[in-house]
Amino acid sequence: MGKQARVRAREIRHAQAIAARRTANRTRWVLAAGGFVIAGLLVAIVAVVATSGSKNDAPTANDRAAAVMPANASTGGAILIGRPEAAVKVEIYLDYMCPFCGRFEQANSADIDSLVKAGQIRVELHPLAFLDRMSNGTRYSTRTANAIATVADRAPTSLLAFNTALFGAQPAEGSTGLTDDQIAALAVQAGVPAQVASAFTDRTFEPWVAAATDAALKAGITGTPTVKINGVVLRDLYAAGAFKRAVEAVGD
Amino acid sequence: MAEMLATLNRIRHANGWIFATMLVSSVLSLIASFVLAVDALRLAADPSAELSCNINAVLSCGAVGSSWQSHLLGFPNAFLGLMAEPVVITIAVASLGGVRFPRWFMFAAQIVYAVGLVFAYWLLFQSMFVIGALCPWCLLVTVSTTLVFSTLTHVNIRDGNLYLPRRIQSAAVRFVQSNLDLMAIVIWMLALTLAIVAKYGDTLVA
Repeated sequence: MGKQARVRAREIRHAQAIAARRTANRTRWVLAAGGFVIAGLLVAIVAVVATSGSKNDAPTANDRAAAVMPANASTGGAILIGRPEAAVKVEIYLDYMCPFCGRFEQANSADIDSLVKAGQIRVELHPLAFLDRMSNGTRYSTRTANAIATVADRAPTSLLAFNTALFGAQPAEGSTGLTDDQIAALAVQAGVPAQVASAFTDRTFEPWVAAATDAALKAGITGTPTVKINGVVLRDLYAAGAFKRAVEAVGD
Repeated sequence: MAEMLATLNRIRHANGWIFATMLVSSVLSLIASFVLAVDALRLAADPSAELSCNINAVLSCGAVGSSWQSHLLGFPNAFLGLMAEPVVITIAVASLGGVRFPRWFMFAAQIVYAVGLVFAYWLLFQSMFVIGALCPWCLLVTVSTTLVFSTLTHVNIRDGNLYLPRRIQSAAVRFVQSNLDLMAIVIWMLALTLAIVAKYGDTLVA
Protein backbone atom coordinates (compact mmCIF):
# COMPACT_ATOMS: atom_id res chain seq x y z
CA MET A 1 0.00 0.00 0.00
CA GLY A 2 1.33 3.48 -0.88
CA LYS A 3 2.03 6.11 1.79
CA GLN A 4 -1.02 8.11 0.64
CA ALA A 5 -3.29 5.12 1.04
CA ARG A 6 -1.93 4.45 4.55
CA VAL A 7 -2.58 8.06 5.54
CA ARG A 8 -6.06 7.88 4.09
CA ALA A 9 -6.72 4.66 5.93
CA ARG A 10 -5.53 6.20 9.20
CA GLU A 11 -7.70 9.28 8.64
CA ILE A 12 -10.73 7.11 8.02
CA ARG A 13 -10.06 5.06 11.14
CA HIS A 14 -9.62 8.29 13.10
CA ALA A 15 -12.93 9.68 11.83
CA GLN A 16 -14.66 6.43 12.62
CA ALA A 17 -13.24 6.44 16.13
CA ILE A 18 -14.53 9.96 16.73
CA ALA A 19 -17.95 9.03 15.40
CA ALA A 20 -18.02 5.92 17.57
CA ARG A 21 -17.03 7.93 20.66
CA ARG A 22 -19.73 10.46 19.87
CA THR A 23 -22.35 7.72 19.57
CA ALA A 24 -21.12 6.15 22.79
CA ASN A 25 -21.36 9.52 24.55
CA ARG A 26 -24.88 10.06 23.24
CA THR A 27 -25.87 6.60 24.42
CA ARG A 28 -24.39 7.32 27.83
CA TRP A 29 -26.46 10.50 28.09
CA VAL A 30 -29.61 8.64 27.10
CA LEU A 31 -28.91 5.95 29.68
CA ALA A 32 -28.28 8.59 32.33
CA ALA A 33 -31.53 10.37 31.46
CA GLY A 34 -33.30 7.03 31.59
CA GLY A 35 -31.77 6.41 34.97
CA PHE A 36 -33.19 9.68 36.25
CA VAL A 37 -36.63 8.82 34.89
CA ILE A 38 -36.47 5.42 36.58
CA ALA A 39 -35.41 6.98 39.86
CA GLY A 40 -38.23 9.52 39.57
CA LEU A 41 -40.81 6.81 38.91
CA LEU A 42 -39.60 4.80 41.89
CA VAL A 43 -39.91 7.84 44.14
CA ALA A 44 -43.40 8.53 42.78
CA ILE A 45 -44.50 4.95 43.37
CA VAL A 46 -43.25 4.96 46.95
CA ALA A 47 -44.90 8.32 47.57
CA VAL A 48 -48.27 7.19 46.22
CA VAL A 49 -48.21 3.95 48.21
CA ALA A 50 -47.18 5.75 51.38
CA THR A 51 -50.00 8.26 51.13
CA SER A 52 -52.78 6.04 49.86
CA GLY A 53 -53.52 4.17 53.08
CA SER A 54 -53.92 7.32 55.14
CA LYS A 55 -56.28 8.89 52.64
CA ASN A 56 -58.75 6.22 53.58
CA ASP A 57 -58.52 6.66 57.32
CA ALA A 58 -60.13 3.28 57.77
CA PRO A 59 -60.87 2.29 61.37
CA THR A 60 -57.95 0.51 62.98
CA ALA A 61 -58.17 -2.66 64.99
CA ASN A 62 -58.16 -0.59 68.16
CA ASP A 63 -61.02 1.50 66.88
CA ARG A 64 -63.01 -1.61 66.17
CA ALA A 65 -62.46 -2.98 69.65
CA ALA A 66 -63.85 0.22 71.13
CA ALA A 67 -66.62 0.47 68.52
CA VAL A 68 -69.70 2.40 69.49
CA MET A 69 -72.74 0.25 68.89
CA PRO A 70 -75.92 1.91 67.69
CA ALA A 71 -79.15 1.41 69.57
CA ASN A 72 -81.38 -1.30 68.17
CA ALA A 73 -78.38 -3.29 67.11
CA SER A 74 -76.87 -6.61 68.08
CA THR A 75 -73.27 -7.32 68.96
CA GLY A 76 -73.14 -9.62 65.97
CA GLY A 77 -73.22 -6.60 63.72
CA ALA A 78 -76.89 -6.50 62.87
CA ILE A 79 -79.48 -3.76 63.06
CA LEU A 80 -82.72 -5.07 64.51
CA ILE A 81 -85.94 -4.05 62.87
CA GLY A 82 -89.45 -5.09 63.79
CA ARG A 83 -91.09 -6.60 66.84
CA PRO A 84 -88.76 -8.92 68.79
CA GLU A 85 -91.56 -11.40 69.33
CA ALA A 86 -92.21 -11.85 65.60
CA ALA A 87 -92.11 -15.51 64.64
CA VAL A 88 -89.90 -15.39 61.59
CA LYS A 89 -86.33 -14.09 61.73
CA VAL A 90 -85.01 -12.68 58.47
CA GLU A 91 -81.28 -11.97 58.21
CA ILE A 92 -80.20 -9.74 55.36
CA TYR A 93 -76.52 -9.24 54.59
CA LEU A 94 -76.02 -6.44 52.12
CA ASP A 95 -73.61 -3.81 50.87
CA TYR A 96 -75.03 -0.54 49.58
CA MET A 97 -72.73 -0.60 46.56
CA CYS A 98 -73.80 -4.09 45.57
CA PRO A 99 -75.98 -3.97 42.45
CA PHE A 100 -77.56 -7.33 43.25
CA CYS A 101 -78.62 -6.06 46.65
CA GLY A 102 -80.34 -3.27 44.76
CA ARG A 103 -82.22 -5.83 42.69
CA PHE A 104 -83.28 -7.70 45.82
CA GLU A 105 -84.54 -4.50 47.39
CA GLN A 106 -86.43 -3.46 44.28
CA ALA A 107 -88.19 -6.80 44.15
CA ASN A 108 -88.94 -7.13 47.84
CA SER A 109 -88.77 -3.90 49.83
CA ALA A 110 -92.54 -3.39 49.75
CA ASP A 111 -93.10 -6.93 51.03
CA ILE A 112 -90.44 -6.56 53.74
CA ASP A 113 -92.08 -3.33 54.85
CA SER A 114 -95.58 -4.81 55.12
CA LEU A 115 -94.39 -8.00 56.82
CA VAL A 116 -92.49 -5.99 59.43
CA LYS A 117 -95.49 -3.73 60.05
CA ALA A 118 -97.77 -6.76 60.39
CA GLY A 119 -95.42 -8.19 63.00
CA GLN A 120 -94.81 -11.34 60.99
CA ILE A 121 -91.07 -10.92 60.63
CA ARG A 122 -88.21 -9.33 62.48
CA VAL A 123 -85.30 -8.28 60.32
CA GLU A 124 -81.62 -8.41 61.23
CA LEU A 125 -79.98 -6.10 58.76
CA HIS A 126 -76.23 -6.53 58.36
CA PRO A 127 -74.83 -3.54 56.48
CA LEU A 128 -71.43 -4.62 55.21
CA ALA A 129 -68.67 -2.51 53.74
CA PHE A 130 -66.54 -4.81 51.68
CA LEU A 131 -67.18 -3.00 48.40
CA ASP A 132 -65.42 0.19 49.44
CA ARG A 133 -62.87 -0.46 46.73
CA MET A 134 -65.63 -0.16 44.14
CA SER A 135 -66.24 3.50 44.92
CA ASN A 136 -62.99 5.06 43.77
CA GLY A 137 -61.65 5.66 47.23
CA THR A 138 -64.73 7.48 48.54
CA ARG A 139 -65.67 4.58 50.83
CA TYR A 140 -69.30 4.75 49.79
CA SER A 141 -70.18 1.41 51.40
CA THR A 142 -68.79 2.44 54.77
CA ARG A 143 -70.39 5.89 54.68
CA THR A 144 -73.85 4.59 53.88
CA ALA A 145 -73.60 1.77 56.40
CA ASN A 146 -72.62 4.36 59.00
CA ALA A 147 -75.60 6.51 57.98
CA ILE A 148 -77.95 3.54 58.36
CA ALA A 149 -76.47 2.79 61.77
CA THR A 150 -76.95 6.43 62.80
CA VAL A 151 -80.58 6.30 61.75
CA ALA A 152 -81.04 3.04 63.63
CA ASP A 153 -79.59 4.75 66.66
CA ARG A 154 -81.64 7.95 66.59
CA ALA A 155 -84.56 7.66 64.16
CA PRO A 156 -85.32 3.95 63.84
CA THR A 157 -88.86 4.46 62.55
CA SER A 158 -87.50 5.86 59.28
CA LEU A 159 -84.92 3.12 58.86
CA LEU A 160 -86.62 0.94 56.28
CA ALA A 161 -87.71 3.96 54.24
CA PHE A 162 -84.14 5.26 54.24
CA ASN A 163 -82.83 1.84 53.25
CA THR A 164 -85.24 1.72 50.31
CA ALA A 165 -84.34 5.28 49.29
CA LEU A 166 -80.64 4.44 49.26
CA PHE A 167 -81.18 1.53 46.93
CA GLY A 168 -83.52 3.59 44.81
CA ALA A 169 -80.69 6.01 44.17
CA GLN A 170 -77.95 3.40 44.12
CA PRO A 171 -74.85 4.60 42.25
CA ALA A 172 -73.12 2.49 39.65
CA GLU A 173 -70.37 0.14 40.72
CA GLY A 174 -66.99 1.69 40.24
CA SER A 175 -68.29 5.24 40.41
CA THR A 176 -67.58 7.67 43.23
CA GLY A 177 -70.92 6.87 44.84
CA LEU A 178 -73.21 9.43 46.41
CA THR A 179 -71.79 12.37 48.33
CA ASP A 180 -72.41 12.83 52.04
CA ASP A 181 -74.83 15.62 51.22
CA GLN A 182 -76.77 13.42 48.83
CA ILE A 183 -77.00 10.65 51.43
CA ALA A 184 -78.24 13.12 54.04
CA ALA A 185 -80.82 14.50 51.59
CA LEU A 186 -82.15 11.00 50.90
CA ALA A 187 -82.44 10.43 54.65
CA VAL A 188 -84.42 13.61 55.20
CA GLN A 189 -86.68 12.70 52.30
CA ALA A 190 -87.31 9.36 53.97
CA GLY A 191 -88.44 11.05 57.16
CA VAL A 192 -85.20 11.23 59.11
CA PRO A 193 -84.92 14.44 61.17
CA ALA A 194 -82.41 16.92 59.76
CA GLN A 195 -80.19 16.98 62.83
CA VAL A 196 -79.84 13.19 62.69
CA ALA A 197 -78.95 13.36 59.01
CA SER A 198 -76.33 16.01 59.67
CA ALA A 199 -74.68 13.66 62.17
CA PHE A 200 -73.77 11.17 59.44
CA THR A 201 -70.47 12.90 58.81
CA ASP A 202 -69.46 12.36 62.45
CA ARG A 203 -68.67 8.80 61.31
CA THR A 204 -69.61 7.56 64.77
CA PHE A 205 -70.44 4.04 63.77
CA GLU A 206 -67.81 3.37 61.14
CA PRO A 207 -65.73 1.19 63.49
CA TRP A 208 -68.86 -0.78 64.28
CA VAL A 209 -69.51 -1.26 60.56
CA ALA A 210 -65.94 -2.48 60.07
CA ALA A 211 -66.33 -4.91 62.97
CA ALA A 212 -69.69 -6.05 61.58
CA THR A 213 -68.12 -6.71 58.19
CA ASP A 214 -65.36 -8.77 59.80
CA ALA A 215 -67.94 -10.70 61.83
CA ALA A 216 -69.95 -11.51 58.70
CA LEU A 217 -66.89 -12.79 56.89
CA LYS A 218 -65.97 -14.94 59.87
CA ALA A 219 -69.54 -16.25 60.01
CA GLY A 220 -69.02 -17.63 56.53
CA ILE A 221 -70.88 -15.09 54.45
CA THR A 222 -69.32 -15.19 51.01
CA GLY A 223 -71.44 -12.82 49.01
CA THR A 224 -74.18 -10.25 49.02
CA PRO A 225 -77.04 -10.25 49.13
CA THR A 226 -77.34 -13.16 51.50
CA VAL A 227 -80.82 -13.60 52.90
CA LYS A 228 -81.67 -16.18 55.54
CA ILE A 229 -85.16 -16.98 56.74
CA ASN A 230 -84.99 -18.59 60.18
CA GLY A 231 -81.44 -19.61 59.35
CA VAL A 232 -82.18 -21.10 55.95
CA VAL A 233 -80.58 -19.37 52.99
CA LEU A 234 -83.09 -18.05 50.48
CA ARG A 235 -82.07 -18.76 46.91
CA ASP A 236 -84.85 -17.11 44.95
CA LEU A 237 -83.96 -13.52 45.60
CA TYR A 238 -85.08 -11.56 42.61
CA ALA A 239 -88.42 -12.97 41.50
CA ALA A 240 -91.32 -10.86 42.69
CA GLY A 241 -93.11 -12.40 45.63
CA ALA A 242 -90.67 -15.26 46.14
CA PHE A 243 -89.39 -13.79 49.39
CA LYS A 244 -92.88 -13.26 50.74
CA ARG A 245 -93.93 -16.80 49.83
CA ALA A 246 -90.84 -18.19 51.54
CA VAL A 247 -91.66 -16.27 54.72
CA GLU A 248 -95.25 -17.43 54.71
CA ALA A 249 -94.17 -21.00 54.07
CA VAL A 250 -92.22 -21.05 57.35
CA GLY A 251 -93.88 -22.94 60.15
CA ASP A 252 -96.31 -24.74 57.86
CA MET B 1 -17.45 -2.62 38.58
CA ALA B 2 -16.96 -2.22 34.86
CA GLU B 3 -16.17 -5.91 34.65
CA MET B 4 -19.39 -6.81 36.47
CA LEU B 5 -21.39 -4.59 34.15
CA ALA B 6 -19.69 -6.18 31.16
CA THR B 7 -20.55 -9.64 32.45
CA LEU B 8 -24.17 -8.64 33.11
CA ASN B 9 -24.34 -7.17 29.64
CA ARG B 10 -23.04 -10.38 28.12
CA ILE B 11 -25.56 -12.43 30.07
CA ARG B 12 -28.39 -10.13 29.11
CA HIS B 13 -27.73 -10.56 25.42
CA ALA B 14 -27.21 -14.29 25.61
CA ASN B 15 -29.77 -16.67 24.17
CA GLY B 16 -30.04 -18.45 27.48
CA TRP B 17 -31.15 -15.35 29.33
CA ILE B 18 -33.49 -14.08 26.64
CA PHE B 19 -35.31 -17.34 26.08
CA ALA B 20 -35.39 -18.19 29.77
CA THR B 21 -37.13 -14.87 30.41
CA MET B 22 -39.55 -15.65 27.60
CA LEU B 23 -40.17 -19.09 29.06
CA VAL B 24 -40.83 -17.92 32.61
CA SER B 25 -43.10 -15.12 31.41
CA SER B 26 -45.16 -17.32 29.14
CA VAL B 27 -45.53 -19.97 31.86
CA LEU B 28 -46.85 -17.31 34.25
CA SER B 29 -49.20 -16.10 31.54
CA LEU B 30 -50.44 -19.65 30.99
CA ILE B 31 -51.09 -20.17 34.69
CA ALA B 32 -53.03 -16.92 34.91
CA SER B 33 -55.06 -17.82 31.82
CA PHE B 34 -55.80 -21.20 33.35
CA VAL B 35 -57.08 -19.68 36.59
CA LEU B 36 -59.23 -17.20 34.70
CA ALA B 37 -60.56 -19.92 32.39
CA VAL B 38 -61.54 -22.12 35.35
CA ASP B 39 -63.20 -19.12 36.97
CA ALA B 40 -65.16 -18.47 33.78
CA LEU B 41 -66.30 -22.09 33.69
CA ARG B 42 -67.33 -21.96 37.34
CA LEU B 43 -69.37 -18.87 36.64
CA ALA B 44 -71.01 -20.48 33.62
CA ALA B 45 -71.84 -23.66 35.55
CA ASP B 46 -73.45 -21.82 38.42
CA PRO B 47 -75.06 -18.63 37.13
CA SER B 48 -76.38 -17.85 40.59
CA ALA B 49 -72.77 -17.38 41.66
CA GLU B 50 -72.77 -14.51 39.27
CA LEU B 51 -75.91 -13.06 40.80
CA SER B 52 -74.19 -11.86 43.94
CA CYS B 53 -71.23 -9.79 44.92
CA ASN B 54 -68.63 -12.32 45.84
CA ILE B 55 -66.51 -11.22 48.74
CA ASN B 56 -63.49 -13.29 47.96
CA ALA B 57 -63.56 -13.86 44.25
CA VAL B 58 -61.09 -12.41 41.86
CA LEU B 59 -64.02 -11.11 39.86
CA SER B 60 -66.10 -9.39 42.51
CA CYS B 61 -69.73 -8.75 41.60
CA GLY B 62 -69.03 -10.53 38.35
CA ALA B 63 -67.97 -7.13 37.11
CA VAL B 64 -65.12 -8.23 34.96
CA GLY B 65 -66.25 -11.80 34.37
CA SER B 66 -69.61 -10.92 32.90
CA SER B 67 -68.49 -7.87 31.00
CA TRP B 68 -68.62 -8.03 27.22
CA GLN B 69 -64.94 -7.19 27.14
CA SER B 70 -64.13 -10.49 28.81
CA HIS B 71 -65.83 -12.41 26.03
CA LEU B 72 -64.77 -10.27 23.13
CA LEU B 73 -64.82 -13.07 20.59
CA GLY B 74 -67.80 -14.86 22.08
CA PHE B 75 -65.85 -17.03 24.52
CA PRO B 76 -63.78 -16.19 27.60
CA ASN B 77 -60.58 -14.35 26.67
CA ALA B 78 -58.65 -16.67 28.93
CA PHE B 79 -59.13 -19.42 26.35
CA LEU B 80 -56.99 -17.41 23.94
CA GLY B 81 -54.20 -17.43 26.47
CA LEU B 82 -54.56 -21.18 26.88
CA MET B 83 -54.12 -21.58 23.12
CA ALA B 84 -51.36 -19.08 22.50
CA GLU B 85 -48.98 -19.39 25.44
CA PRO B 86 -48.05 -23.04 24.82
CA VAL B 87 -46.77 -21.98 21.39
CA VAL B 88 -44.54 -19.37 23.00
CA ILE B 89 -43.38 -21.90 25.57
CA THR B 90 -42.46 -24.29 22.79
CA ILE B 91 -40.52 -21.63 20.91
CA ALA B 92 -38.66 -20.68 24.09
CA VAL B 93 -37.83 -24.25 25.10
CA ALA B 94 -36.75 -25.23 21.58
CA SER B 95 -34.59 -22.12 21.30
CA LEU B 96 -32.96 -22.92 24.62
CA GLY B 97 -32.15 -26.27 23.10
CA GLY B 98 -30.41 -24.61 20.18
CA VAL B 99 -33.17 -24.67 17.58
CA ARG B 100 -33.16 -21.76 15.12
CA PHE B 101 -36.54 -21.03 13.61
CA PRO B 102 -36.90 -19.76 10.04
CA ARG B 103 -37.05 -16.04 9.51
CA TRP B 104 -40.65 -16.04 8.27
CA PHE B 105 -41.67 -18.08 11.32
CA MET B 106 -40.24 -15.59 13.79
CA PHE B 107 -41.65 -12.70 11.81
CA ALA B 108 -45.14 -14.26 11.94
CA ALA B 109 -44.73 -14.89 15.67
CA GLN B 110 -43.83 -11.22 16.16
CA ILE B 111 -46.94 -10.07 14.28
CA VAL B 112 -49.32 -12.40 16.10
CA TYR B 113 -47.87 -11.60 19.48
CA ALA B 114 -48.04 -7.87 18.73
CA VAL B 115 -51.78 -8.28 18.21
CA GLY B 116 -51.93 -10.11 21.53
CA LEU B 117 -50.04 -7.29 23.22
CA VAL B 118 -52.44 -4.66 21.89
CA PHE B 119 -55.38 -6.79 23.05
CA ALA B 120 -53.87 -7.20 26.53
CA TYR B 121 -53.40 -3.47 26.95
CA TRP B 122 -56.83 -2.67 25.58
CA LEU B 123 -58.28 -5.02 28.21
CA LEU B 124 -56.23 -3.37 30.92
CA PHE B 125 -57.51 0.03 29.85
CA GLN B 126 -61.10 -1.22 29.79
CA SER B 127 -60.66 -2.83 33.18
CA MET B 128 -59.20 0.27 34.79
CA PHE B 129 -61.27 3.03 33.23
CA VAL B 130 -64.49 1.53 31.91
CA ILE B 131 -65.36 -1.47 34.08
CA GLY B 132 -63.67 0.01 37.12
CA ALA B 133 -62.54 -3.30 38.55
CA LEU B 134 -59.02 -4.54 39.11
CA CYS B 135 -58.38 -8.14 38.21
CA PRO B 136 -55.02 -9.25 39.64
CA TRP B 137 -54.67 -12.27 37.38
CA CYS B 138 -55.45 -10.13 34.34
CA LEU B 139 -52.73 -7.76 35.46
CA LEU B 140 -50.28 -10.67 35.60
CA VAL B 141 -51.16 -11.53 32.02
CA THR B 142 -50.51 -7.92 30.97
CA VAL B 143 -47.11 -7.89 32.63
CA SER B 144 -45.96 -11.26 31.34
CA THR B 145 -47.27 -10.51 27.84
CA THR B 146 -45.17 -7.34 27.86
CA LEU B 147 -42.09 -9.32 28.92
CA VAL B 148 -42.60 -12.00 26.28
CA PHE B 149 -43.09 -9.34 23.62
CA SER B 150 -39.93 -7.50 24.64
CA THR B 151 -37.80 -10.65 24.58
CA LEU B 152 -39.26 -11.71 21.25
CA THR B 153 -38.54 -8.27 19.79
CA HIS B 154 -35.03 -8.38 21.19
CA VAL B 155 -34.32 -11.68 19.48
CA ASN B 156 -35.95 -10.68 16.22
CA ILE B 157 -34.03 -7.44 16.00
CA ARG B 158 -30.76 -9.13 16.86
CA ASP B 159 -31.31 -11.85 14.26
CA GLY B 160 -32.72 -9.55 11.60
CA ASN B 161 -36.00 -11.44 11.36
CA LEU B 162 -38.24 -8.47 10.85
CA TYR B 163 -37.46 -7.62 7.22
CA LEU B 164 -36.69 -4.05 8.21
CA PRO B 165 -35.08 -1.57 5.79
CA ARG B 166 -31.33 -1.58 6.32
CA ARG B 167 -31.00 1.78 8.08
CA ILE B 168 -33.84 1.03 10.49
CA GLN B 169 -32.43 -2.44 11.11
CA SER B 170 -28.99 -1.12 12.04
CA ALA B 171 -30.51 1.59 14.23
CA ALA B 172 -32.64 -1.04 15.94
CA VAL B 173 -29.62 -3.28 16.49
CA ARG B 174 -27.70 -0.41 18.06
CA PHE B 175 -30.72 0.38 20.24
CA VAL B 176 -30.72 -3.16 21.57
CA GLN B 177 -26.95 -3.49 21.85
CA SER B 178 -26.78 -0.43 24.08
CA ASN B 179 -29.48 -1.87 26.34
CA LEU B 180 -31.82 1.02 25.64
CA ASP B 181 -34.60 -1.49 25.07
CA LEU B 182 -34.03 -2.84 28.59
CA MET B 183 -34.25 0.66 29.99
CA ALA B 184 -37.42 1.31 28.00
CA ILE B 185 -39.01 -1.84 29.43
CA VAL B 186 -38.02 -0.93 32.98
CA ILE B 187 -39.44 2.57 32.58
CA TRP B 188 -42.61 1.16 31.04
CA MET B 189 -43.10 -1.34 33.89
CA LEU B 190 -42.54 1.35 36.52
CA ALA B 191 -44.97 3.69 34.77
CA LEU B 192 -47.55 0.88 34.72
CA THR B 193 -46.96 0.21 38.42
CA LEU B 194 -47.39 3.91 39.17
CA ALA B 195 -50.67 4.02 37.25
CA ILE B 196 -52.02 0.94 39.04
CA VAL B 197 -50.93 2.18 42.45
CA ALA B 198 -52.30 5.66 41.84
CA LYS B 199 -55.69 4.32 40.83
CA TYR B 200 -56.01 1.42 43.22
CA GLY B 201 -53.62 2.35 46.02
CA ASP B 202 -56.45 2.84 48.48
CA THR B 203 -57.77 -0.62 47.79
CA LEU B 204 -54.43 -2.37 47.83
CA VAL B 205 -53.04 -0.71 50.94
CA ALA B 206 -56.23 -0.57 53.01
